[in-house]
Amino acid sequence: MSVEVHIVDGALGPYEPGESTFGVGAVIVFEGVVRPAEDGVPIEALDYEAYEPMASRQIGAIAHELASEFGLFAMHVWHSTGRVPAGRCSFRLVVESAHRKEGLAACDAFIDRFKKDVPIWKKPVHRGDADSAE
Amino acid sequence: MGEFAHWGIVERRYSWAMRVEVRLFGPERAAAGRDTVAVDLAESATAGDVLAAVGEACPGLSLAAARLAVNHEFAEPARAIASGDEVALIGLVSGG
Repeated sequence: MSVEVHIVDGALGPYEPGESTFGVGAVIVFEGVVRPAEDGVPIEALDYEAYEPMASRQIGAIAHELASEFGLFAMHVWHSTGRVPAGRCSFRLVVESAHRKEGLAACDAFIDRFKKDVPIWKKPVHRGDADSAE
Repeated sequence: MGEFAHWGIVERRYSWAMRVEVRLFGPERAAAGRDTVAVDLAESATAGDVLAAVGEACPGLSLAAARLAVNHEFAEPARAIASGDEVALIGLVSGG
């Protein structure tokens, strides 16, 4: 079982698939992209703040727990800190499993846990904010 | 804590054993307007005591959903706090 955690400054680059382990039948890549509006209000970006090393440790612990529970081959996670413009990727989860069903269930379970137990916060950046690009 | 009665008046004397700087993040930091809040604790203080003390120090903070992290792990309310522990208030998170 392989677990990787990457906390990255700024938007995530394009996904670069690696070579899957022999026996993997499903590779699921989920990407979270910054929406151009929060609660109906247009935004330019999201500013992410992570409490490290707790954030990485929590992500790793959840990934290990779920990889074991669902019998996964791999669970690799990326999350941004700092500013991520609207339309860019700030979160990526890659799950490798023998079959689709447990891989998709593991993705869902991981994201639910992430949104509850990982100390990362986002703050919207609006056009005209003192620290916006304009 | 000692308790002394004289002239019909009960006087309580508190001896604080340690001061803990509780780190704040996200909405809680914005609401408090600062990065940390200092709380004075008795020697036998627990994580629950810290949360209560933070609530007293920053009455504007909503702590209903807040948890305490001690040395980068979520702490149960009964967990003992020791001098030198890194303590952080973790409110509602919003990553992912």
